[in-house]
Formats: sequence, structure tokens, C-alpha cells
Amino acid sequence: MFWTLVEQVLNGIVSGSVYAIVAVGMTMIFGVLRAINFAHGEYYMLGAFGAWVAVEYIDLPYPAAVVIGILVTALIALAVGWLIMQRIVGATAETGVLATLGVALVLQNAVIFIFGGSYKYFNGGYIEPVTIFGFMLAEQRVLIIIVCVLVFLALEAMVKLTWAGKAMRAVSQNPLCCEVVGIDVGKVVLQTFALGACLAALSGALTAPVNVTVYGGMGEIITFKTLPIIIMGGLGNVRGTFFAAMILGVAESLVATYIGLQYRDTVGFATLMLVLMWRPHGLFSTRARF
Amino acid sequence: MAFHIHRRSLLAMAGIAGAAAVVGPARAHRAEDGTIRIGLVAPMSGPNARYGSFSLRGAQLAAKEINDAGGVGGRKITIIPGDSQGTPTEGVSALRRLIERDKVDYVIGDVTSGVTLALQPIAEEANVLLLNAASSNPTITYRAGKGGMKWTYRNYPTDEVRALVVLKYAAEQRKLTKFSVLSVDSDYGRGAIAFTKKYLPRFNASIVTEDYYKEGEVDFRSVLAKIRDSGAQGILMYGLADTTPIIARQMIETGVAGKLPLIGNGEFNAEVTIKAAPRALEGAIEAAAWLPAWDNPRSKAFVAKFAAEYRESANNHAYVHWETTHLLAKGVAAAGSVDRLKVRDALSSIKYESAMGEVTFDDHNQARLPMVLLQIENGAPSIKGAVSGEIEYPRT
Repeated sequence: MFWTLVEQVLNGIVSGSVYAIVAVGMTMIFGVLRAINFAHGEYYMLGAFGAWVAVEYIDLPYPAAVVIGILVTALIALAVGWLIMQRIVGATAETGVLATLGVALVLQNAVIFIFGGSYKYFNGGYIEPVTIFGFMLAEQRVLIIIVCVLVFLALEAMVKLTWAGKAMRAVSQNPLCCEVVGIDVGKVVLQTFALGACLAALSGALTAPVNVTVYGGMGEIITFKTLPIIIMGGLGNVRGTFFAAMILGVAESLVATYIGLQYRDTVGFATLMLVLMWRPHGLFSTRARF
Repeated sequence: MAFHIHRRSLLAMAGIAGAAAVVGPARAHRAEDGTIRIGLVAPMSGPNARYGSFSLRGAQLAAKEINDAGGVGGRKITIIPGDSQGTPTEGVSALRRLIERDKVDYVIGDVTSGVTLALQPIAEEANVLLLNAASSNPTITYRAGKGGMKWTYRNYPTDEVRALVVLKYAAEQRKLTKFSVLSVDSDYGRGAIAFTKKYLPRFNASIVTEDYYKEGEVDFRSVLAKIRDSGAQGILMYGLADTTPIIARQMIETGVAGKLPLIGNGEFNAEVTIKAAPRALEGAIEAAAWLPAWDNPRSKAFVAKFAAEYRESANNHAYVHWETTHLLAKGVAAAGSVDRLKVRDALSSIKYESAMGEVTFDDHNQARLPMVLLQIENGAPSIKGAVSGEIEYPRT
């Protein structure tokens, strides 16, 4: 009984790590733009697809494929950021929703148009199971957990210590004052957006081997998982996002174990409703800030 | 979900994907050269896209063969695809577009049972023949023919037969009586389990855990760990072909592989699936409408032609749409006219020689077809027989 619980909590942490890397990018973008990026899951998909193309068409080894996946996504994100996201600064909430939903449709269908809608097998990564503390899991999943922790430590350091990180926090607090003191808001938005998209791509490229297949519509589900996480974590809150992702992962795992797999997706939406009703600023802060 | 509603509007933005530029002109007006226009509603995108892509290729191969041989009564056949995305709402709009804009003569579709159930009333209202080639939920023909819907025909065996055949083999030959359910959460996945439950007492079998996965689900570790510790001897799975390898790989991860066999349907016999996780698929029991290894000259010829044409091995959905397109062409030839009503009547009395045996339709417009029972042995499917069962229609 007890060991089942421990194993299922561990399973939850594994899924939570995937969510966390995607969600943190989305929350940072919200911080500087005040807009939910509904296309965020598509960058996750692009990362996975970029890596798949690198493995399948160029025969690159998996680690190089991950880098290619991120680079391709970075280029697309820079283009989207320059053409669309920069114009959302200061616009109404509906503008952000419509623009990012539109981007999601274009990216998703462009991939389906180019590669077809079917599932593609991802041949790469480290899928052999290993036993850790008596629990079996694929090596790749251990890698995902380690990368997740490293990403969050690096992000914490960045937003606290570097000039770019401080600029991000400044823009998230008051874009007008930033302009007054000479911070290029457009540039900060573009940087944050590209960084967030790259993190989603990293998550996609890391998850592809354990998910076995990649396909054009794979990002949609991730966007809907990420939404409750960033709201629970407090929009714009990096550390809160980490814990919220873990909470959602573990809760989903426990629901799948003790109630039924078919109710797994309800966890995210139920949490979303509860948080919005009682803690609209999220579980971890009183105000939505970095 | 919100995306589905808007996705279609992308096609309208011709400049972006160029999609409309390619599709638009070809569809804009009805062909005046007298071609026979067959609409194909299938999931071309979304979690069921694999089915749609194979279905379209199968149907197109058949059309090419028919046209190369001179067409039907001198008329060529064109296949016009409509994307259902595997969801009833999108399927209904795809069917409406095919009927109203593309002016198709007949429709083949959909693959998923949920969509087919939604298409039936639309076809009925429009008096358009809906010939289904791949949905297995029994309700579709419970309510067809004598059951009410005159325009629906199905050239595919049902889950009622499948559930019984599979359970009988698992219980009698493999001595498995305690099962965990891990099926897809759809009319197909839930329907097949409902019929399995009907036959459980006959074999003194029981279900110990019951879970359904959503289309697109990728994380099965929790549910597999639960199944592993539940005391079940096998996993009853009526699932999606694309999800089977994901589950199979996680069965290896969670230590389920090699202990509990998969039992049901979900392209367990596909080469790519077995290759993705050979250890998990070994010993799997499946009932399928067709498989590439089926020993029949017509079937073998199809497998070879499909591989030559598309450089990909055919699957069940490619076959059934290929065969059904041929069947429909035979129906048109037998009717001696493209008139929908005459073709419909011709189908009711047709005797068609398929790769799976002679096809005739019963008074519920359901084709009498066998299910092939197979078991994965040493990484390849081994056929254990083909079983036809009489369908007990509920009294109306």
C-alpha cells in the first residue's frame, strides 16, 4: 500500500517535471506581456519535431537533435515574437488571446501540412529502464527530472542576478517606467518570449523518446495542462510554477491510480476552477510578479 | 476543445499554408465529365490521423485500379477526402461540405464509431448512401436497415463478435480469467468492453480494474503500476493503434511486459508496434478485421500493390477502405446507374467476393464478415482462425 503510494508520487514528479519546463516559459511570457500564450504547446511540439527531423532526415545523434530542435524553435519564436508578440505589449487582453490562438493554429497546421497529420516514431533518447530505489523507469525520465531542476536553478539565478533577468522583472512590474529609464521593452519582450519558447522546445525534445511518437497536434494537450499550472503557481511566478507543476503531476497520478485514468484530465481543470475561486493570485504569492 | 472550432478557418487563409490554393479550384465546381464522386470522411488530423491517412491511401489505390481498368461503365472514380479529426462535430461539418459543396454521389466513412454515429442522421436526411468501412460499434447497424436508417451500410465486422471471440480464446486457450481494462475512452473502446462484460459470466471471468484513456494520452505509468499490482492476468484493451506502442513501451518500463498480455484490438500485429516494444507485445491476443499476413491471393496482391505504391506496409484501415471502394464500384456497376437509390438497392442484394470471403448484407445493412483471431508469437502475428458470429439484434 505504502510503496504503491510512493511509486505513484514518483510517477507524478516525472510528469510534473515535463509540465514544469513548459509552464515556466509560459509564466515568464505572461509576466512581461500580460497575455496567456495559447500557442505555447506548439513550441513544445516544434521542439519535438525539430529533433525528429534531425534524427530522421539528417541522422544526427540524439543530443545534437535536441539542440537542433531548440534552435529551430528559437528561430520560429524570434519571427513570431518580432511579427506578433511585440505588438501585444499594452494591447487589450482579447488581442493577446486571439493573436496567440491564431499563431497556435498556423504553427500546428503548417507542421501537419508539411509532414502530414500522422504519428511519427521518434527513434532516439535513452529508453532502457533502470531501477532506482526499487522503482523502474526509463533513463530518459531520470534525465528529464535532472534537467528540470537545473533549468529552475538557472532561471532563479538569472532573474535575480543578471541584467537581462532584472529587466524582465522590471518590465513585468511596470513597462511604462521601464521606457522612462531606458529599458527597451520590445527587446525584453522578444528575449523573454524566445527563452520561454526554447524551454518548451527543450521539454518537447526531451519527452519525445518516452512518448514514442510525435505528431502535429501534440502541443494542444500540453497547452491545456500548462494553463492551470501557471495560474496555480501565480501568473509570472517562476518558483510557484515549479511547485504547481509538481502538485498537478502528483495529483494526476493519484487520481489515475485510485479513481480512474479517465478522470485524470479533470484534475487540471478542477484545480483551475478552485484556484480561481479562492486564490486568484495563485497558491504561492499574494501578487502576480516574478 | 476550443482549437477544433477554429482550425477549419485556417484553410480559408489561402496565403498562409497554400492549402486552399491546392484544394480550392479542384473542388469548386462539380465535375461535368461524369466522374463518380466518392466522399471519404476520415480523421486526417488529430490523434486518429494514422487511420485517416491509411484509409485515404487504400481508397485512392482502389480508385486508381478501377480507373486504370476503364472505370465503372466508362466513368472514372474520384475520392474526395473530408477531415473529421476524429470528432463528431468536425465529422458532421465535413460530411455536410462533401454533400453540399463537393456534390459527392456517395460517402464512405468514418473510421471512429463516435463520428459514424453522428454522420448517420445527416446522411439519412440528405438521402446519401453512407457506406462505413471501419467502425465497429454494434449500435451503428442496430439502427440501420430494418432498424431505421435506410442509407447506412457497413462493410466491417462488429465489436459484439470481436468481444466474444477474444474472450473465448483468452479464457479457454490461455486460461486467463482475471482482467484489467485499459481501453480508449470512446464509443469503440467503451462499447467493446460493454459487450465483453455481457460474456464474462459464460467463461467464469472477471474484471478487476477498469480504466479508459483519452485520445492523445501519453502517460500510462500510474495506471500500469496499478494494473501490475491488481492481480489481473491480462489487459483487455480496445485501443488506438497509435497509442498501443506508447503503452507497450511503458509496460516495459513499469515491469508489466512479459507478465500481462494485451488482449483485444489496437493493431498489436503491426510491425512498427511490435518493433517499438517486442517484449510487451509477445503473447498479445487480437481480433482484427484483416491483417497483412492473411493468407488469400487477393489480399496478398493488395499488400504487394500497396507497398509498391506507397513504400509503406498496409494496415487494416488501408485494406478495408480499398475493399469497400471496390465493393461500392461493384454496387454501381450492378445498379447500372449512378442513381443513389438504385445503388443502395444493388448493395442490399450484392454478392461480393472480398479477400475475407463473400460479402452479403443482412436486413440491418450489416455485412456478414469474419474476425481474424491472432496471437503474437516470436515477434510476429500467428493466425489462430477466422470466426464469424451471428449478431443478435435487440428487438425494436
